[in-house]
Order: sequence, then C-alpha cells, then structure tokens
Amino acid sequence: MAGVLVWVETSEGKIKKITREAAGAGAKIAAKLGVPLGAALFNGRDLVPGLENLGFSKIYTAEGAIFEKYSSEAYAQAFAAAGEQFNADVFLTGATALGRDLSACLAARLDAALAIDVTEILYDARPLKVIRPVYSGKLLAEVELLGDKKVISLRPNVFPAAETPSAPPEVVPLSLENLAIRAEVRKAIKAAEGVMDVTEANIVISGGRGTGGPEGFKVIGELARTLGAAVGASRVAVDEGWIEYAHQVGQTGKVVSPVLYIACGISGSTQHFAGMGSSKFIIAVNTDPDAPIMEKADFAIVGDLFKVVPVLKEELGKRIRG
Amino acid sequence: MNIAVIIRQVPDTEAAVKPHPANQGAIVEDGVKFILNPYDEYAVEEALRITEKDGGEVVGVCIGPQRSETAIRMAMAMGMARAILISDAPAVEADLVTQGGILAAAIKGLSARLILCGREMIDTQNDAAAAVVAHRLGIPHVLAASKIEISGDKATVVRDIEGGSLEIETALPAAISCQKGLNEPRYPTLIAIKRAKNKEIKKMTLAELGLAAAQPKSRVTALRPLQARSAGVKVAGSPEEVAGKCAAWLSETAKVI
Repeated sequence: MAGVLVWVETSEGKIKKITREAAGAGAKIAAKLGVPLGAALFNGRDLVPGLENLGFSKIYTAEGAIFEKYSSEAYAQAFAAAGEQFNADVFLTGATALGRDLSACLAARLDAALAIDVTEILYDARPLKVIRPVYSGKLLAEVELLGDKKVISLRPNVFPAAETPSAPPEVVPLSLENLAIRAEVRKAIKAAEGVMDVTEANIVISGGRGTGGPEGFKVIGELARTLGAAVGASRVAVDEGWIEYAHQVGQTGKVVSPVLYIACGISGSTQHFAGMGSSKFIIAVNTDPDAPIMEKADFAIVGDLFKVVPVLKEELGKRIRG
Repeated sequence: MNIAVIIRQVPDTEAAVKPHPANQGAIVEDGVKFILNPYDEYAVEEALRITEKDGGEVVGVCIGPQRSETAIRMAMAMGMARAILISDAPAVEADLVTQGGILAAAIKGLSARLILCGREMIDTQNDAAAAVVAHRLGIPHVLAASKIEISGDKATVVRDIEGGSLEIETALPAAISCQKGLNEPRYPTLIAIKRAKNKEIKKMTLAELGLAAAQPKSRVTALRPLQARSAGVKVAGSPEEVAGKCAAWLSETAKVI
C-alpha cells in the first residue's frame, strides 16, 4: 500500500490557497494510483475543519512550541514521520518559499526524487513524470521520477483547487521524539500593511522603466487597489530604487503565475519573462509599439501608462461595481 | 573561518537555448556563452567579505563539465582562493539530491564553518542545494538569505518569504543560500583576473571522494521550448478609447472581470 501526502501550508492562522491546489493534484495522483490521500498539518489543529472535502482520509498533526514557527528541521522530521505512518510514496508541497525549503529537506532525508516548481503532472506516466520550467523559463523539462519516494513542489496558481466531496478525515496526532533544532526563527517581519504578495495573487500589475519613478507606481497602485491586485516590478524599477525588491518579478525576483498580468512600461526582457511567462493572460501598456512584450501580450496597448492606466482604472471600476 | 562556496557555470541569461536533438535533456552548446551563475556572485562576495574581516580561506566547489573552469576563474578573480571541480560524467549527470551528496563529500574535507551558494541555479532552476548539502553534513541551513550576520558560533540570517521575511538564528557550521540584496558583488580588476589564472583548481572524481555512481532518482526525459506566446490584440488611440477596448476584452474575451 502506498499513499500521497500533502503538506498543509498555513500563514497567520489561515490555510494558504496553494494547499487546496496541492490537494487537487494529490487527489488526482491518488485516484490514478488507487491509493489514499493524506495531509500533514503542523501547528494548526484548529484548522482541521477547513480541510474537509479536499479528499484527505487522514490528517497527521504535530503541535507544541517547536512547531509554532516554521523550522526546516522539525517540519521535515514531522513530515517524514507522517509519511512513514501513512506509507506515503508521493509528497506534495507548494513551490512557495517554505514549501521549497520543506520539500528539499524531506527529499534529502528520504533520499527521494525531487522535482521543484512543477507546472504540470503527467498523471498516467509510470513512473510518474512532471513538467517544470528550466533555463529562465525558456524551456520545459519533462522529468521522470524514478525513486521509490517522490517529493514534488507545485507552482502556485497553476493547479485547480480540490473539490473532492469526502468523509471527514481522521485526525492522527504524531508523537515525535528527539526533536532538536539548530536554526530557529526568532522574528517574523511582515511587509507593510495592505501590501499583497505577488506570488499568489490572481492579478499582478507591474511597472518597469516606463514608470519613471515612484510616482508611476502610485498610478499602478491605484489600479491594483481597484482590482484587488498585487503590485509587481521589473528589475530596472527595483534597481533604480523606485520600489522594494519584494515586488520584483523575473529571473532574480519572484516567479508569478496569475490569471492576469498587466505590464506597464516594461519592455519584456527574457529575465522578466522568466518570472511571469506562465501567466494566463498578459496585458501590456507601452509607448513603444515594437517593445518585445508587445509581441507576446494577449492585449497590447500602445500608449503612455500615465494617461492610460488612470482611465483604465475608472473604466474597470465601473464594471466591477456593476 | 574557512568558507566553502558552491558554484556553477550556467548559460548566459540572454542566450537562446535550444534542446539538443540527440542528447536527451541537454541543450545545444554551440554559440552559447557560459557565465558564473548570477546568484553565486552574492555567495562569493559574502564569503570574501566575511573572510576579509575575520580571516580564513574561501574555497569553491563545483560540479560541472571541464568548461566550468571559466566560471571558477571568474569567482577566483573576485577573490576565491582555490577550488575543487568534479567533472566526471556520473557526477555531472546526477540528479539534484545525488549532487547534493557529492558536494557534501567534497566539502567535508575543507573544515568549513560556513557553506554558501546562490539562491538558485538559473539553468536547472533548482534551489535545493544548501538544504540537501546541509542534511548530508548533519548541519542546519537557511535558504534565500538577504542578510547574514556572524557572531561567534552563530549566524543571524534574514530570509525572504511571501509577504515578508523571517529572522533566523542558526548554529554554525551551517549552509546558507544567498539572495539578491545580500550585497553588491564586486567587479574583478584586470590584475585579479590575471592572477586568477594561477590559482589551484583541484579536479576530483567520485572515486577520489569515496563515492560510487548512484542509481538516478530522477532524470530529464525531454526538453522542449516553451510554446511561444503569440501576439494578440494591439490597440492604439486616445486613453478613453484604448481603456474601453481593454475593459471590454477583459470581461468578454478573457472573462477575468
């Protein structure tokens, strides 16, 4: 008997959206293999009710001071222990900062096959195969996972969230011994209030060289507020000091995969595409009709972002308010 | 303290990479410029800054074909003292978890108190090296550091996560991967580039590291170009006109709003 085990990622006492996406992919793998789907939830015993109807038959929990903050060592040990009890051979996490960390630790611990930032699973392939972007997103690699144990991190916003009517899962508290950690989180530093992170946002609006300075990002920020979007930026805008690094999308920034990506005053370098090339729809606003991004956008507007974006904000605001 | 820096040679980000027609999982290398993995520059720079202050030696460890030497020389021009290059095919072709074990075996003999690497290798887009190496060496790790402060037996590291960052205190020795923002990597001087040519690159095989070729845990069975995005609608006109068209497209065609 084997099984598929999903790490339930939480943030500030809430289950992250990627968990439902991982559960969706996990349920599909489990159904194809005819094995059960389970979950591992650390420091979130009260979140169990939120994990119903995701297809989980069992939820392994770990509580205690050591689990209150993320710890690579404690979490990987607990995830491995849950895997052993569940007899899991496939482990899923989000390709988030902590999901990538946990999956790497677990793969090292289990000497498993590891696939990072996967955007597609070939469910029928035996052994299991996955697709992941490589070479700055210019190529896709089909990777065959040969190890007995397979650890996969999934790119957020790519896999459909689970809708798996299922019986309430059984909660299994893990008893863990000899937990000792040598790297400990001392402080969690939050980004400024009201700043949405680009990685898991459904809509990202980014500014580049064309924003010309922090004023350009004010215009972009207003459209973002109207749409409930996150604000992104190209490398140039960050290097110029117009906006913080946390907003940077691209090769040396974050990878995003939103439903809608609006690039304002961004030429669209290879490095930028490495971070947003898998967006479902791309809108570009650029004064240069020949900028590379204008040839790749689904909807390209030739125009000055300072003039177009505020009008677009009004127009979309009207439609949203109905 | 001695610091080991894991480095890698990768194709230039601007290079047009194409899947190799015959070699499964490889790219066509003709005409491709290879560089030091950009994130590794932060790791080399940080190692140099720490040893310039507290003493010690910076040693590079690299898995890659012979051509990786140019990337190693670049790190040496920045100031890295010497390096180990593991070029035998089973090491170069190994999966990332196995490579982590090989790197750990090479680092073991260096009495390094700190192991640094880049946040991500931009060719394979893998970012697990620090975690795997640390586990194999039985030491803690922190990924994606944007700040590292060493004090005695400990390091305080700030690492980025979605929506903020974490301040982590780790015991040393530890493995830490380095993120943009950690420092401003130096440009090597011409003299330093010249001197780098005489620094020692020790070539080691798996056998010399006491390892045997392992069964692969994963392998790339195909590489294909990303389906190029084709141009869509292009509009020009007054702000009102283009915004109206865009809003209509968003609600009727894309059905996003």
